[in-house]
Amino acid sequence: MRWLSDPLSAPFMQRAVLAIVLLAVAGGLLGTWIVLRRLAFFAHAVGSATFPGLVVAGPWGLAAPVAALGAGLGFAALLARLTRGGATSSDSATGLLLTGALALGAILASDVYQAGAGVDRLLFGTLLGLGDGDLWLAGAVAVAAVAATCALTRTWLATGFDPAGAPALGVRAQRGDWILLALLAVTVVAMLPAVGALLVSTLLVVPAATARLVTASLGALLATSVALAAAEGFGGLLLAYHLDLPPGPAIAIVGGGCFALAAIASAPRLRLRLRRGTGVTA
Amino acid sequence: MTTAAPALQVTDLAAAYAEGPPALRGVTFSAEPGQAVAVLGPNGGGKTTLFRALLGELPAVAGSVRFDGAPAYVPQTERSRLDFPVSALDVALMGAYARTPWYRRIAAADRERARAALARVGLGDRAAARFGTLSGGQRQRVLVARALVQDARLLLLDEPFAGVDRTSEEAIMGILDELRAEGRVLLIATHDIEQARRWDRVLCLHGEQIAYGPPASTLTTDVLEGTYGAEIVLLEGGERCVAVQHHHH
Repeated sequence: MRWLSDPLSAPFMQRAVLAIVLLAVAGGLLGTWIVLRRLAFFAHAVGSATFPGLVVAGPWGLAAPVAALGAGLGFAALLARLTRGGATSSDSATGLLLTGALALGAILASDVYQAGAGVDRLLFGTLLGLGDGDLWLAGAVAVAAVAATCALTRTWLATGFDPAGAPALGVRAQRGDWILLALLAVTVVAMLPAVGALLVSTLLVVPAATARLVTASLGALLATSVALAAAEGFGGLLLAYHLDLPPGPAIAIVGGGCFALAAIASAPRLRLRLRRGTGVTA
Repeated sequence: MTTAAPALQVTDLAAAYAEGPPALRGVTFSAEPGQAVAVLGPNGGGKTTLFRALLGELPAVAGSVRFDGAPAYVPQTERSRLDFPVSALDVALMGAYARTPWYRRIAAADRERARAALARVGLGDRAAARFGTLSGGQRQRVLVARALVQDARLLLLDEPFAGVDRTSEEAIMGILDELRAEGRVLLIATHDIEQARRWDRVLCLHGEQIAYGPPASTLTTDVLEGTYGAEIVLLEGGERCVAVQHHHH
C-alpha cells in the first residue's frame, strides 16, 4: 500500500486532496445543473475567459480571484451584448469570445508582461502548490453549492424542465437563474488555482456528464457527480504523483477515461434513449 | 360559489413584449364558474400572449384582468425537456411547489394529492415512470395532473389535444368535464375550429379580439375570415371549416 501511503504522507499532497474534495462537492453539485441546463460550453468559456484577468492580476497588483472574476463577468456581459437581437447565436458568440480571451491573454502574457513559465500554471493549474486562500475559497464554494442545492433544487428543476411553465408554478425562475450563473462564476474562479483556466470542465462538467449516463433520478445524479469528481480528482492526483505528471491534466485524463467507460457500459440504454428521443421531436 | 360577479373578467386588455407594439389588444370577455372557453386563432394570433398576460408574465399595457387566485398553466408537452431525470410523480409534485416554502419538504398531503391526480388522469400505475419515456398523450395527462395538484380556479391549457393519442384525448376530455362541474374556468387554446365548437364559449383572436360568444352563433364565416385572414378554406357542401396553417420559418 506504499503507492497510497507515500503520497498521502506529503503535506502538499494532503492539501491537494483536501482541495479536490471541496472542489468536487461544488463541481459535482453545480455541474449537475450545468449539464442539465446545457451550460457546459458556457462554463468552459467562463473558465477560459478568466485567463487575461489572471495574467494582469500580478502586474496590476490585484488579487488573482478578483481579477479572474472581473474577466469572467466581462465575458458574460459581452456575451449578453453580442447575442442581443438574435443576429449572433449564443454558441457562436461564446466561441468567439473564448478565442478572443485566450488570444488576449496569450499576447498580454508573452509580449506585455513576459509572464513566461507562469502561463502554464494559469492555464492548467498547480494543485500541488495551493495556498491557504485557495483552500478557503474552495471551502466557501463547497458550502455555497450545498446550500444552494438544498434551497433551490425545486426552482432549478422546474425551470430547466419546462421554462415556459415554471413561473405559473410559483417558481421564481429568473432569480434562480441569476443565482446559478453567479455560483458558476465563483466556482470557476475557485477552481482556477487547482486546474487552471482551460481545465475547469474537468471538475465542473465531466463528472456530471458521466454520472448522467449511469443514473436515472436527480438525487442519484447529484450524489454520483460529487463522488465521481472526488474519485477522479484523487485518482488523477495519484497518477500525477507516481508518473510525475502535471495534476490538472492527469485528472482530466482520468475523467475522460471514466466517461468513456460509462458510455460503453450504458450503451444499450443510450441507444434506447436516442430512439425515444427521435420519436418525439419533429 | 354562486356569486353574481363572473369568475374571470377581462376588460379591454392589451399586452406587449418588451418595448414592441401590443401583440394583442382589445380583449374583453368574461367567463362564469364552470365555463370552458376555446381561445381560437392562427399561430401568432395572440393565444400565447393572452395566456402570458393572464399569468402576469407580460404586463398589461392597457385594460384589466380580474379573477381570484393564481391560474394554473398546462403547457404543450413538446416544450418540456424529455431528457430530464424526473418521474411522472416528480412532475405532478411541481404543482405543490408554490405552497411549499424553500426550506420545507413537500408535505405528505401534497404527495397524496399528486398520486391521486395521476390516478385521476389514468396514470396511477405510471407514477414512477420517467417522464421522457411516456407517450405524448401520457405526458400531456401528467401535465394536467400537475395543474390538478395546483388546485387553481382558472386553468389555461395550451393546445392540450395537439399530437395526443385517442385514449389520452378521451381521458383529458373527461377530466376537463369534471373540472367544469367543479366550477373551475378553463381557457383552451386551439387553432382547430372543430375543437373550438366543443366548448361553452369561443374567443377568436387575430392580434385583437375578433369575436366572443357561444360557438354556434359566433363561428360565422365573417368571424372565421377575420380570425384566419386569407388562410381560411371553406369546404363546399358542408359546414366544416378547415383552417390552413402556414408555418413561418
